[in-house]
Amino acid sequence: MMPLRQSLELGLILCRTCGHAVLRARLEVNRRCPRCQSRIEHRTPLSTEMTLAWLIAGMVLYIPANLLPVMHTSGLLGESDSTILGGILEFWRGGDWDIALLIFIASVAVPLTKFLAIGLLLFTVRANSRWEQRQRTTLYRIVEFIGYWSMLDVVVVALTSALMQFQALGAAEPRAGIGFFCAVVVATMLSALSFDPRLIWDRRA
Amino acid sequence: MSPILICRDCDAVYRAIPLNRGDVAVCRRCDAVLARHFGVDIEGALALVGAAAILFAIANLTPVLSIEVAGAQTQANVWFAVRSLQQGWISVAAMGLAFTTFVIPAAQIALLFWVLLFARCGLRPPGFAPVMRHLHRMRPWSMTEVFLLGALVAIVKLANWVPIAAGPGIWAVAALTAVLALLGRCDPASWWSIAPGVET
Repeated sequence: MMPLRQSLELGLILCRTCGHAVLRARLEVNRRCPRCQSRIEHRTPLSTEMTLAWLIAGMVLYIPANLLPVMHTSGLLGESDSTILGGILEFWRGGDWDIALLIFIASVAVPLTKFLAIGLLLFTVRANSRWEQRQRTTLYRIVEFIGYWSMLDVVVVALTSALMQFQALGAAEPRAGIGFFCAVVVATMLSALSFDPRLIWDRRA
Repeated sequence: MSPILICRDCDAVYRAIPLNRGDVAVCRRCDAVLARHFGVDIEGALALVGAAAILFAIANLTPVLSIEVAGAQTQANVWFAVRSLQQGWISVAAMGLAFTTFVIPAAQIALLFWVLLFARCGLRPPGFAPVMRHLHRMRPWSMTEVFLLGALVAIVKLANWVPIAAGPGIWAVAALTAVLALLGRCDPASWWSIAPGVET
């Protein structure tokens, strides 16, 4: 098999938006892709800085998202505020372990995995590491794929609040925590999208 | 000379080979998908987009879930869900939800329809480059499947207390998820070759 060559060695550059391979010599001053008109760069500019900035934003927002209540319910059983973790515990105690597990995965496991995985990717890229490059690239793709499932709790709270509108029997209203939680999902998705996985394979002197 | 493929994830350069139905080209070094067989032809894709548009309309015009207690009834679909989050600055979440489950899927369907309709007639769609660019960029933000799972969770969650029923909308959301997934599996890179006069 022929050895693999990097695009730079062959005078090529990739448009990461549309996947077009462009001859560097044909790239004009404005550095736009001839096919889709997106800006083309050898590596996403400020990739690690942007990834880190969005990652920190996501981690900071994750604190109020968990401490503040996401929903307020009132009804025959009185009034109560529930947080994400509180809601999971309630399902667990009520015997709905499957729903508890699903919400736990979407709202706790996925965001925490993303924080750890993006942190690991950033650290190893900054350290110019050659450790497990293939697996780290797969890790990046997993992070990209699982990210948006965290939106699940936002959907559940919104639907519950829309449906539970019976004064006497029960009513539900969203609370501030869910706004923070939605912001966490957006910030961590932007963090993953800012990361340029090609940095895992680059050898800097 | 065969076209060149460059791996999105590790920048390795390959010479493309013709793919057969169901074939997926994978990067030797990092396992990223380099290219897929187109899967469906323009007419097939157009039919899928048409189906998606109808399903999207049903999902948004009929209730996905409904509850009836002592004569009082409440209903919910994407729009009811978005509206219930419009309170003070929780509206951030309302905007997030509206974008990912309504605006983006609607835009995807409309833009794909635009591109495919012209391609079907053998014309280059006006604004082809920006339309395709936006289709590429929108992909990670389309969350119809998350809405479907959320609706299912809500059913199980509320079924303990109130008689909750799934409306026709939930079937439309489920089918829409499948159709959008099928359209998503068609290789976006090869969408570029559907319009005449485009450099590939």
